[in-house]
Amino acid sequence: MSRAAEGRAGAGGAAATIDVDQALSLYRQMVLIRGVEVEIETLHKRGRMTGSFHSSMGQEACAAGVCAALRQSDIVTSNHRGHGHAVAKGIPIEGIFAELFGRSTGVSGGRGGSMHLHHRESGFLGENAIVAGGLPWAGGAAWARKKRGLTDVGVAFIGDGGFAQGVTHEVLLMARYWEAPLVIVCENNGLAHSMASERLFGEPGSITRIVEATGVRSEFVDGRDVIAVAETAAAMVEHARTVGPAFIECQVFRVKPHSLSDPDYRYREKDAGQAWLETHDPILALRRRLGEDQGEALDRIDAEVAEEVAAASAAAEAAPQTPVEAALENVYLTAELNKNG
Amino acid sequence: MAELKYAEAVRAALAAEMQADEDVLIMGEEVGALGGVFTTTKDLIEQFGPERVIDTPISESGFVGWSIGLAAEGFRPVVEIMFSDFVLLALDQIINLGAKVRFMSNGQFNVPLVIRMPGGGGTNHGPQHSQSLESIFAQVPGLIVAMPATAADAYWMLRDSIRCDDPVIFIESKGLYFREKGEVDESEGPRGFGARVARPGTDITVVSAARMLHRCIEAADALAAAGGPSCEVIDLRYIWPLDTDTIAASLAKTNKLAVIHEPVEFSGWGGEVAAWAAASQFEQLDGPIARLGARRVPIPFQPHLEDEVVPSVARIEATLSDLHGY
Repeated sequence: MSRAAEGRAGAGGAAATIDVDQALSLYRQMVLIRGVEVEIETLHKRGRMTGSFHSSMGQEACAAGVCAALRQSDIVTSNHRGHGHAVAKGIPIEGIFAELFGRSTGVSGGRGGSMHLHHRESGFLGENAIVAGGLPWAGGAAWARKKRGLTDVGVAFIGDGGFAQGVTHEVLLMARYWEAPLVIVCENNGLAHSMASERLFGEPGSITRIVEATGVRSEFVDGRDVIAVAETAAAMVEHARTVGPAFIECQVFRVKPHSLSDPDYRYREKDAGQAWLETHDPILALRRRLGEDQGEALDRIDAEVAEEVAAASAAAEAAPQTPVEAALENVYLTAELNKNG
Repeated sequence: MAELKYAEAVRAALAAEMQADEDVLIMGEEVGALGGVFTTTKDLIEQFGPERVIDTPISESGFVGWSIGLAAEGFRPVVEIMFSDFVLLALDQIINLGAKVRFMSNGQFNVPLVIRMPGGGGTNHGPQHSQSLESIFAQVPGLIVAMPATAADAYWMLRDSIRCDDPVIFIESKGLYFREKGEVDESEGPRGFGARVARPGTDITVVSAARMLHRCIEAADALAAAGGPSCEVIDLRYIWPLDTDTIAASLAKTNKLAVIHEPVEFSGWGGEVAAWAAASQFEQLDGPIARLGARRVPIPFQPHLEDEVVPSVARIEATLSDLHGY
């Protein structure tokens, strides 16, 4: 066990600790998410992928740390910046690449693309391209599990932009009222597209306090520190499993522009993302904390993940394009209704 | 066989499906102890308990989205929107998620959800409680739009909708809840999709639905009594799927078409029926297609003002007389 990960108190005083194997597993998840996002960006720049793309680079620790607290049967909904959550929840990355390439082997049949990853088997209900739109789904689905006598929890990832949506407030109140096993994870990356969240809500931590006032248990965590995120998430997921809803505000940073085509130099320092990465990269931070004695293991992970990403991307691209008939399929389950106008 | 008011038929259908399938849940504002503001869930909480008859906060977007989550997990929620006007708060969840999740997930999820709502006028509730919004939903792939006009259809179409594996927008006519009544045969069995001929005739095919159907029949009866045209009135029952076969069969006999509905005429679903007929029934038509819908103004609360806006029996009669005289 490294000094860094040893003996930390979990959020809320729970005695959760992260051992070295868990830390390496978190490292692997973060590197995998980063690798997927970098690969997607590269493919877009080379003109081999189409559609929209919202990179989660820099936010890996939140996805990895939160999903480390979940079982496969637990469920997740996400948002337009959801690749990291999808990877961390366990969607096979070839299925993600294939979806973005528009292949029928994609997790959604190659019809939804980047913002519409769905994978029931791994408990990833879906992304949602409407800000905070996936939040009530997570609440209802998690509550459904509870009604069936199961102990699964639901996690809904939103951003600071999503906290400005009315439905977020509605779901917070319903989750409390019905004691739903729901954890809302608000990734506060400081920017709702171009609007600074500090101007809207106040300094980081303010969202946590707003939620506390509703009576929902709420914690703030530094999203650069994957160990802290994992410990906080473990405590909050346990709270949701046994008591009721919980909320995590995770302070992260959006390294890339809002989307591929977003001219972010108009509203923040040029190269702000790169500058942040050089000093605050959560992957490098964990590497430093694990220390020299884990250097070899970490290098091995880096190499394995690079190979895994390259292989998955190539296999996904080689699959056949989604056939044109697929555009008309799976609208209704009732067979006689699939007339498609 | 029992004679039920339209509202009682809705309630009886809910009770029957709750009885038949434990996965059927009722959710909405005031559906529990209060029994629904139009009594359609009266006493159901006593019968089925608060775990299955669930009062929600006044959070339409939130609880409709929540019900989509329940439905995608295999429950069969029946959500009540107190007045159809309030469904506008939940359109994101309905249109962007409920209607599309089967498509977006390539069939991994389906949404067996019924969203019930009292639509239309006739109860003096004014501009934000009297709109007819079905044309909005008919535009959305993934949805079914059901509009019962009779007590028997309120009963059977609701039972069919609850058993349906896809999301159904179920618009009840609040003006019919306590005025319309009829025999409901609980042993009859599912009725399925498709329109029906509500009043046979030979001169004009009148396509209508829901509350306006009764005004069309009243107008048709008055015209017949006065020696005017013989009108065949068709009750569409479902705005989508649209049963054009039944309309075509009638047109083959009458060769004249009128479409009369409660939504605003401009961009209302009647235009879709008219366009279909103009495109595919041109050889059958011996006259222009008559359309009559609400005028393009909000719905006033006083009855005599409302009848100036939505089709009145007198305006329907005049429209049909004009068409007959063509």
